[in-house]
Amino acid sequence: MLDRAVFGRLVLIAALAVAATNAAAFDDSKYPDWGGQWKRPRGVGTQWDQTKPSGLAQQAPLTPEFQALLEASIKDQAAGGQGADTHVGCVTNGVPRIMTATFPIAFVITPAVTYIHFEAFMPRRIYTDGRDFPTDEEPAYHGYSIGRWLDTDGDGRYDTLEVETRNFKGPRTYENSGLSLHPDNQSIIKERISLDKANPDLMHNEITSIDHALTRPWTITKTYRRDRKELWQDYECGEANNHVVIGKENYFLSGDGLLMPAKKDQAPPDLRYFKQTQK
Amino acid sequence: MLNRSTIGAFALRAAPLAAALMMTFAAAAEDAKYPDWKGQWLRQRVPGVAGQPSFDPNKPWGKGQEAPLTPEYQAILDANLKSQEDGAFFDWRGVSCLGFGMPLITYGFQPTEFIITPETTYVLVDWVEHTRRIFTDGRDWPKDLEPTLVGYSIGKWIDEDGDGRYDVLEVETRGPFRGPRHYDAAGVPLHHDNESIFKERIWRDKADPNILHDQITVIDHALTRPWTVTRNLVRNPDPRPTWDEFICNEGNSHVKIGKENYFLSAEGLLMPAHKNQAPPDLRFFKETRK
Repeated sequence: MLDRAVFGRLVLIAALAVAATNAAAFDDSKYPDWGGQWKRPRGVGTQWDQTKPSGLAQQAPLTPEFQALLEASIKDQAAGGQGADTHVGCVTNGVPRIMTATFPIAFVITPAVTYIHFEAFMPRRIYTDGRDFPTDEEPAYHGYSIGRWLDTDGDGRYDTLEVETRNFKGPRTYENSGLSLHPDNQSIIKERISLDKANPDLMHNEITSIDHALTRPWTITKTYRRDRKELWQDYECGEANNHVVIGKENYFLSGDGLLMPAKKDQAPPDLRYFKQTQK
Repeated sequence: MLNRSTIGAFALRAAPLAAALMMTFAAAAEDAKYPDWKGQWLRQRVPGVAGQPSFDPNKPWGKGQEAPLTPEYQAILDANLKSQEDGAFFDWRGVSCLGFGMPLITYGFQPTEFIITPETTYVLVDWVEHTRRIFTDGRDWPKDLEPTLVGYSIGKWIDEDGDGRYDVLEVETRGPFRGPRHYDAAGVPLHHDNESIFKERIWRDKADPNILHDQITVIDHALTRPWTVTRNLVRNPDPRPTWDEFICNEGNSHVKIGKENYFLSAEGLLMPAHKNQAPPDLRFFKETRK
């Protein structure tokens, strides 16, 4: 008769084999299905808080100094300027604005890193291998992101990715109104990304910004909708960019490629380095 | 002696475990089928080769490449070189920080990363362009694509040595392409019809697993014959490498106004990029600068 000890050992060996194999392989079934392209919901613009119009209507909890900066930015934009929005030169806005998903985004999940792909910018790498924040990295617009997978409903499968991002450079804005993060670049951005419980083709990203331009942490939730049919375009910001930045001034290019003022009574660029004058 | 009921009981209790084992082994086997291309791959520099990186890494850029160009495209290369001697630019997209597409995206100007999944191999180039997608899910060429610089890549994994693990990724990249595209910043051109086809074989060196070879063949109407070269990438031994943010537009001192390229001085003033260059036409400005 097979005694209990032998039986127990067989079961234990089998269980250990499962555990060992799990450790060796990328167990796809442990991670959520975030495949496909993720886009902004139809009718939603590129404002930071999707539930409110951009600019002052965002009701961002700004310090008085940064509230004044936003108001000045909006005033300058009304006069034809760019205000505090720096994207005119096609430099990335980094985190958190990149998560607006102006163009489609995609997630590629591996045990050590979750990659977020963008059409126009380099991907975000969210490290989930248990590392700590490094002390010798160059600051970046994307910052440095460390994530942790959570199984919040205990069904044996991860459903939520918690991300913390630090180590920024700037300038960075939340949206094109010029709503700005603090230039000390000490922001900490926390995200909780998960699929909608009722509709797996919706994703929510709860984003909390902790920043010295704010009087308190500011939390908003971005929603993305899934498109299983991935179509990736060559999106090149600079290709059809009619803005020309010369020094601190932004100008505009006409359809025939001539320099134009971007705002009323704007002075032309200083041409002191040219011998010849244009006829 | 084992009695039948004991065996039956064991079989019954072990069945779910066996099923789990089979699934897990299947996942492990799937994972083990792909080669280890993890980590950060850097362009292998060939000592003594002058100029900026070009298609054939063993030869200097520009004319030094000895590209098998048709006479028409050899003349275009000559004109591109002449325009640079004069301080101007040809239709090189790099001056405006625009992407280059195939084949320049394969050169590894910035550190490269491969993410292999059964359906897609992603090549992260972290440069002016960011991601190449090589589809390995058995799909056919789509018919309704917009032209792109990087084209559309379909790959096939091959187990050449029959050891049960893939070792070579064969890739074919077709258009519709758009252009202009060049092999290097000297201006070695691809045909303006944008009908190029690229065939690649990517594999890890048998003797040194930290070298990755990419044999690339270009079939293009600007060439008199297919042009094949082998480029190498070298793996960074650091298991947690730094991925620097490369933002071309940040600090780009070139300013394109219409068809003219100008330069920005350190204090942000417009300067001619070549001798006797006329300043931009300011007819749309009311005020003139004093």
